[in-house]
Amino acid sequence: MEHTRHKHVGQRLRSKEAPRHAAGRGRFVDDLVLPRMLHACILRSPYGHARIISAHGEQAARAPGVLGMLTPDDIRRLSRPFKPGRYSAGLRVAIPEYASAIDKVRYVGEPVAMVAADTRARAEDALELLEVEYDALTAVTNADAASRPSAPLIYEELDSNVAWQGHVSYGDVDRAFARADKVVREKLSIHRYSSTPLEPFACLAEHTPERLTIWCNSQAPEVIYEALTEALNIDTVLVRVPDVGGGFGQKIHLIRKYAVLTALMAMRTGRPVKWIEDRSEHMMAGGHSCGQEFDVEAAVNVDGEVLGLKIRDTDDVGGSIGALTIHFTNKLNNLFNTYKVQHLRLEGRSVLTNKCPVVPNRGIGKPGMCFIWERMMDRIAQELRIDPIEIRRRNLISADQFPYTTPNGNIYGSGDFQGLLSRVLEKVGYAEIRRQQEHPASNGRLLGIGVVIGIEPGGRNAARDMAIFPESKQMPGAGGVQGATVKVEKNGRVALTLGSPSCGQGHETTASQIVADVLGVSPDRISISGTFDSTLSPWGVSASNSGNNFHLYDVGAVHGAATRLRERILTLSAHVLKADRGSLQIDAGVVHGASDRDGTVTFAELGKIAYANQSLLPVGFEPGLEETYYFSHPHADPLMVPDTLGRVRAQYTFSSAAHAAVVEVDQDTGRVRVLRYVIVSDNGTLINPDVVDGQIYGSAAHGISVALGEGFVYDAGGQLLTLTLLDYGKSTTLETPQIEIEHHPVPDPFTTLGQKAAGEGAAIPSPAAIASAVEDALSPLGVKIRHLPLSPEHVWHLVHDARRSPGER
Amino acid sequence: MNFALKMRVNGEAHEADVEPRMLLVHFLRDRLALTGTHVGCVVGECGACSVMVDGTLVKSCLMLAVQAHSCDVTTVEGLARDGKLHPVQEAFVSNCALQCGYCTPGFLMASCALLNRTPNPTEEQIRQDLSSNLCMCTGYVQIVAAVKQAASALRQWNTQDTST
Repeated sequence: MEHTRHKHVGQRLRSKEAPRHAAGRGRFVDDLVLPRMLHACILRSPYGHARIISAHGEQAARAPGVLGMLTPDDIRRLSRPFKPGRYSAGLRVAIPEYASAIDKVRYVGEPVAMVAADTRARAEDALELLEVEYDALTAVTNADAASRPSAPLIYEELDSNVAWQGHVSYGDVDRAFARADKVVREKLSIHRYSSTPLEPFACLAEHTPERLTIWCNSQAPEVIYEALTEALNIDTVLVRVPDVGGGFGQKIHLIRKYAVLTALMAMRTGRPVKWIEDRSEHMMAGGHSCGQEFDVEAAVNVDGEVLGLKIRDTDDVGGSIGALTIHFTNKLNNLFNTYKVQHLRLEGRSVLTNKCPVVPNRGIGKPGMCFIWERMMDRIAQELRIDPIEIRRRNLISADQFPYTTPNGNIYGSGDFQGLLSRVLEKVGYAEIRRQQEHPASNGRLLGIGVVIGIEPGGRNAARDMAIFPESKQMPGAGGVQGATVKVEKNGRVALTLGSPSCGQGHETTASQIVADVLGVSPDRISISGTFDSTLSPWGVSASNSGNNFHLYDVGAVHGAATRLRERILTLSAHVLKADRGSLQIDAGVVHGASDRDGTVTFAELGKIAYANQSLLPVGFEPGLEETYYFSHPHADPLMVPDTLGRVRAQYTFSSAAHAAVVEVDQDTGRVRVLRYVIVSDNGTLINPDVVDGQIYGSAAHGISVALGEGFVYDAGGQLLTLTLLDYGKSTTLETPQIEIEHHPVPDPFTTLGQKAAGEGAAIPSPAAIASAVEDALSPLGVKIRHLPLSPEHVWHLVHDARRSPGER
Repeated sequence: MNFALKMRVNGEAHEADVEPRMLLVHFLRDRLALTGTHVGCVVGECGACSVMVDGTLVKSCLMLAVQAHSCDVTTVEGLARDGKLHPVQEAFVSNCALQCGYCTPGFLMASCALLNRTPNPTEEQIRQDLSSNLCMCTGYVQIVAAVKQAASALRQWNTQDTST
């Protein structure tokens, strides 16, 4: 098998998914139509904070075409609240949360009622006839105001809007600070943003006495499966996920509310029901990343070694207890970034506000953690008058320390952080840019360069959160499980079933390359079912298009299933050819012996035997040529479950990258233009470099857009002012730079093919890189960058404040 | 009162009674089952619903179906010929210029419109023109590369068009 092993892995194989999408043959939930299907619309809260006094649907129910109605009373009567899950770990009082608001609304856009009609237009007409009476309450829209004792309570069940407080501590932080030469302090913040998948949420439900079927563009079908089971008290649930128009974390959590409402409407009306979210609904209520504020202190010695770090993190989690701690817990995934620091304390507070609830989001928590580290490295460099690159070099984990265990238990299998930094400096022409800066442009535009480094964790350990919540009664699992099925069909084609949905990351292509190499077939001969089906797809806890799970779990499962199938193919072939099994080879779907005399047998001939001709099967050989393999990471231990020091592996692989951003800042307008953006990346063994590049380009573009100004803005009453993509400020082709990538792969010693993750990666360091570059550009004015986004307005104010009072920034 | 609409779509004549308030994108998707045209925002900001109406690029969420009465409409389904992908489609596939595929039909139509007007666009022209469309997956690098590559292939395709 050795000679075919890497024929396809590592190649830029033509995408298997792209032709159908380019031809307009993608099949998304909204493309599906069922007989007698109704269309549902949702009435949403116009208030940031209000009590629901009454809701009357009688008039709406009489409107033309209307066939179903769900009011808050109906939802309370017909469904059950969700069980508090992993995302709300740490909640100190059990608070029931239903699929819609019941007695109170806590953010603008919170679902209140649903109408179904024979057309979408008629359902929208009827929404206007629904009468809901509210008693408006004072909204609190920032964490500072919300955490004051006098603030209006968002949940009366809690005595404070500070819904959770906790900390993790590794090493001896107090001692590190006691022996420091200097303590460098900084206040930093990251704003609320989203990943805005272009396809909004979509659900189509059909209920029959036999079962409830839901087609849903969920990244995590397990969440939908469990939500329907819990909320509707039924266990005959089938979840199907067809093509998904982008996920990025947005389609994991809050989408379950809508799955339940759509399913409930289908049960109530006895008709299939489709609900498609519109853009403004998604902006209001589809989930935001967390607004995060950090008080940071770094203990350093005079030569720039960082001895310890203390962080106080305040997370604005919005108006729901449903995802209370996820932005905090995700910081455990890259708590030490690329640095060998041994002592760190992270305190967290999750504060409820009358804003959209928070959800996972490309990078979640990790961009904040990288922002903290990289901003502090620049600040320490400034305070100690040491070069910012040199300060990083002195603190990086060195190449001879791998495999490296971080103080909180993450094991970095391999890496070359110094090498990444050297390559990115060379590729961007760092010295040349420094020379250019000595001759400022006459147009008042300032040139700046920022160089940062970051980690991209991959392959989630389900037990991660136990480090913070050891008392949790509901352990979500441990390690990871994911399956795949590979089959030789009767006609000799190979069929592959993945255990997780895809949101555009080229899973069909990548998986085909692996199967092609293991089985010895052309990737053209491999067909893949593009639809996740909870009854047919072999799935486990890792079957989520999130957490960078695919590269570890699905790749392991696909490789495992194909390897088992190869063994059975060889056994059957040896019997058919009467040849020595050990001498057999497979090429292009044909099994042959070492010499021509041994003869050959094709996959098609084997298929006919395996499914139709018992007389040619070896004695004791189970008919059929199909293998399912459930994969768990064979190196999940040590630290799969937390030890007594609270150390646990958050994730299992760690890609890394150095980013260099070159920017030009217009002092008159505050506009930042990214002139060059260079990434040197270690994603381990590349299975398909085009696919990996696509993930890096996309995640970098998102992080750059976040840094440059995309984000949500609320007014003081809790009204969202950024309801459209233009108001929200998503970068287009004009603001997004021509991103340049160089690969510097160091294979992972513990994964199936040496692969590491490539997904959310470049969204993690890119906000920090832009911040560093803008601060460098504005250094003649003494401006410090502490807060994102660096919108023209924000930068303009920084420049003008600095000019007005020089030396005070 | 409904309107008796006539429209040629991808070369095929259609007649339908439609509500005057029906958007062109909903007519194409819901009445003609041409689901390649996608809805991302319904307010003309994302470009996923872009189609050609009488040779002009239109965001079909900003046009009522009745406004396209008697018009010739081309959607993404109308680009391929005899089962062969259009050069712009082919360039998107071979350059990995798409991931989830949701924005792709709109980018393809916008790219075709650009290349019809400007057969040899510079990178700046490509970026200027395609700023009408949003993609959340790709970071645009491979899309720009695809449009550059498509430009030369398209000239050959158009020559074949006139000869057949």
